[in-house]
Amino acid sequence: MTDHDPSKGYVALLGWSLNAIDAVDRFDRRYVVVAPPWAEEYCSQNGIPFIPWDFDRLNERSHELAHRLKDEGVDVAIPLYEETVEWAGAINAVLLKNPRLLGQSMLFRDKSLMKRRAQLGGIRVGVFEEAHDRGDVIRFLKRVNQTLLKLDGDPNDPIHFKAFDKSGTAGHRVIRSPEDVDNIPDEEFPALLESHLDGWEFAVEAWIKDRKIQFLNISEYVTLGYSVFVPATPELEAHRARVTEEIEKLIEAFDIEFGFIHPEYFLTSDNKLYFGEVAYRPPGFKALELIERAYGFNGYQALVLMFDPHTTQDEIDAFFPEEVTGAKGHAGCFGVYPRRRVVSKLEIPADTANDPYFEWHELAEPMEQKVAKRSAFGTHWGLAYFFGEDPHRLRDLLKAQEELDFYV
Amino acid sequence: MDQVTSDAARLASTLDVVLERLERARPFSKQSLQRPVLDVLARLIAVPDGLAPVYARAERMDRAGLFKGSDWDVPNALLPQLTCRTLEGDDRLLAALETASLMRFLAVATGEAQHPVLQRDYARHFLTQVLALNLPRFFEFSDEASREKGEHTAVAARILRLIAERIGLRDVLGVMVAEIWRILEQRPVQMGPVKEMITQIAVALNRQGSEPGSERLGAERLVSALFGPTAETLDDPGLTAYLARLDHMDDAALSREAMGFARSMHDTGLVSDYHVGFLLWALDYPDRPLVPETLGLGSTGLDCWRHYRGLIEDLIRAGVTPSTPQALYGLAMMMERGVLHSPPIPPALRRVLTIDLAPAVRDRLALGFGAQPTPETHLVSGILEVIGLPLGVGQGANPTCQSARAISMWALNDPDYLLHLVVQAAEAETVLMNFEGTPIQSADLPAGLAGFGPIDADPVSVLLVPHLDRIYAEMGRICAVRPGDPHRWINPEFHGWWVGRECSVAVDVATGMLDAYDVFVARFYQSYHPGYNGDRPLIHPQPAGIAFTDSTGTFIGWHAITILRVAPGRSGEIRVYFYNPNNDSGQDWGHGVNVTTGGNGERHGEGSLEFEHFLSRLYLFHDQPHQPERIKSVETAAVNRVRSMAVESWAQEKATPLQPARQL
Repeated sequence: MTDHDPSKGYVALLGWSLNAIDAVDRFDRRYVVVAPPWAEEYCSQNGIPFIPWDFDRLNERSHELAHRLKDEGVDVAIPLYEETVEWAGAINAVLLKNPRLLGQSMLFRDKSLMKRRAQLGGIRVGVFEEAHDRGDVIRFLKRVNQTLLKLDGDPNDPIHFKAFDKSGTAGHRVIRSPEDVDNIPDEEFPALLESHLDGWEFAVEAWIKDRKIQFLNISEYVTLGYSVFVPATPELEAHRARVTEEIEKLIEAFDIEFGFIHPEYFLTSDNKLYFGEVAYRPPGFKALELIERAYGFNGYQALVLMFDPHTTQDEIDAFFPEEVTGAKGHAGCFGVYPRRRVVSKLEIPADTANDPYFEWHELAEPMEQKVAKRSAFGTHWGLAYFFGEDPHRLRDLLKAQEELDFYV
Repeated sequence: MDQVTSDAARLASTLDVVLERLERARPFSKQSLQRPVLDVLARLIAVPDGLAPVYARAERMDRAGLFKGSDWDVPNALLPQLTCRTLEGDDRLLAALETASLMRFLAVATGEAQHPVLQRDYARHFLTQVLALNLPRFFEFSDEASREKGEHTAVAARILRLIAERIGLRDVLGVMVAEIWRILEQRPVQMGPVKEMITQIAVALNRQGSEPGSERLGAERLVSALFGPTAETLDDPGLTAYLARLDHMDDAALSREAMGFARSMHDTGLVSDYHVGFLLWALDYPDRPLVPETLGLGSTGLDCWRHYRGLIEDLIRAGVTPSTPQALYGLAMMMERGVLHSPPIPPALRRVLTIDLAPAVRDRLALGFGAQPTPETHLVSGILEVIGLPLGVGQGANPTCQSARAISMWALNDPDYLLHLVVQAAEAETVLMNFEGTPIQSADLPAGLAGFGPIDADPVSVLLVPHLDRIYAEMGRICAVRPGDPHRWINPEFHGWWVGRECSVAVDVATGMLDAYDVFVARFYQSYHPGYNGDRPLIHPQPAGIAFTDSTGTFIGWHAITILRVAPGRSGEIRVYFYNPNNDSGQDWGHGVNVTTGGNGERHGEGSLEFEHFLSRLYLFHDQPHQPERIKSVETAAVNRVRSMAVESWAQEKATPLQPARQL
């Protein structure tokens, strides 16, 4: 750990992320990692300040952890994963003497509460409902399609099924038929059901301090669950002013004083912006890495700046580059899924390997030859990274990857 | 992005991106950031001009922590022998890592970079060895194996050429020449790899030229032994032109040629193609006065020539051809050994000349050696070489040390039996042996350790090893139910009556722990050491088992060798001279136990160690029951010295608490 600036805050990172630890260790704030006990040996070997903690369901012990961190002198806790968001809320309620922070964090942890809160805040959302069992799902599927004036035998419009407390595409299923409903395992209930919105889906990463957006990035999805790039194309960036307004509405609705949010939106063909969901933690899919590649700043360090109560506005202004124009190029990544049922080895397609935009990949040799059938959006087998000046070329290139076999 | 940028420049700038990330990272997160660097490196080294940017960043990559957590992090422990296998291997990330490592060595060797532990001289020496070991590769003379690898080989060749350009070939030649002389000193039957290396040197000298110096001189001596050993072949005129010259030479000139060939052959063990041409020409010369001179025979050989001239002429015509030149040396050495005077040998060799190869045997030999000349020729040439150079038999790259050792032992001690086995295997495709009275037919048995046997060995081994391997495995199966080491029973039955009926084993087979080790050590002294056994020489070669250790003294596995003699070395110290079937006896067994193949009184093909050094790696030997009269007791100190050498190396985890050495 480098020498930290004693006039700055002391932060606790909740959850285990080597990338985050590495970035914060290189930053000028004192920190401590709060993570499950299995990380203890690694931390002591590598001189990483560490407090062991089991983040199971939030329970009465959150108070114990909060006071332990308080005694340690920690100023604020930063959640790195969905599972630690409510812990951070509970801890920060104590550390910052602001009981509302716990309630706020619960809103982020429950997709249904989140949606209602957004709706109350005047934010446009699609049709949604809670589901506690499969019957609820079938009813919602039928009702939505009735509304759409479908006849029996017409193909259904799909609905989306999202486990309440899972992050990203984990637990996210697209339901088209009662058979799809049968495939949902019990443990994914309760869940949020949403109507399908046809449109342009994108995500936003917003760093917030003093209720003000300090940096706003738009991540353009090429295909949800497959590929994303930053900054977005000029066509999507054209909506930046409206997006900023929407984020400001979220700040109001969720009463966000500081931190980092990661909402998803749909821009429909009738040019309306629909709110999908929002998370109060770093996004998956290596979005912070992409932002670092494009803009040059480290997203985790930016996170620390937002959470630390001792951060000054001058410090923030010096830290962030100009939005969009400050980027050196466009950085994207593609999540690789094997396309064949039986695979034997990793082989980067020649078209990809020879493309000047292709940078590197983090794909491993297949562990098993038989590829399990994907049920939900599932987990990709690794990411391939791209970088280039032309966002349209990058977008088309990412799209083209979907038709290529990385595993043969 | 600029579309006209070269691939190398573009990938180099991507390399900088991932390298910067690695540089920035804290030590604990280096490993997760190495992979992207290697991924980009792998692509960069594959494009034209891709190596220069890698070389330029070599020191940075090392400092950034590219090698952290891998074996490459300790450059002084890397082995030059493994380098090319990694470069050409299927794992492209490992190949990239190896390339980065080599470029780091190169930067240090040229003085462009410093390294905390890697010294400049060491780096230079390491690269020299890498080049010497891979000379064939970097001139892109492909053999079958490298042809198959294609692109990987081309990349490896580019890397090696870059290294050669920067550090020069002079040292490389020196290392190679020394290495070749060391191997030649052992007179292996399999000369292919050595001849290949010499050919590469000849080409290198021709293409690159090189600074004059002792390295060049040594190299030229090797090249001339192959391509111009005599006055009339010095200019390497080609075989046809050379034979035409012979018609115009007088007797004195012809005799000078014959002696020139003979001297060169006995000096190096190498047989030039011209030598074969000359011998075959001399065979048709009236009264054949030049043949013994061409073979360079001493008195024993000359005597054999006088007695068995007809047979020898037939053997030459059957086995010595431009494709099998080394048979000429084998023949000369066989004659020098005098084995032709043993009554069964001349008829057994005649029998070999009338072998009718079974079709499968013919196919197998053709697979190993090509169909031209005939498989029969290859078999005869192999027989001449194996009987002429019993200690030159090698197991090739096969786990068949037992079989190779047996062939060598029979060639040395029982050559007519070996010829008997050859005929059985060649015609009937089976070998019959008895185990304690039970007949074992190899044809009835499933494939053994080596599957269907080696084809990268000499013709006799190619023919016999599949059978021997199966019989050996079958004897092992029969003994599996008996307590103790099965070699106790197998060795005498497999090799011959002369194997001692007593057997000492250092390790308890059931527990794997040292077992009465002090008794074992003392017994070996009293059986083999002339100072303790009443100065009685070892009469027959004895199979023995060693615990094979690498240069750090780490146990690698059990290995079969033959103890040949125990005698004083040059400075009077008692040494054990032994045969090791693994192609090259010169090995560093760690902790100062260095097997030498020359300079300590070794005969061609022998390896030797000081008595106690040898004993410290021995785990099984045979001897005869002791007669107490002349036997001396062994000092406790000597036993303890051997014990500690064993315990410090292979027996580290096998040692039981120290027992006081008993006097026997």
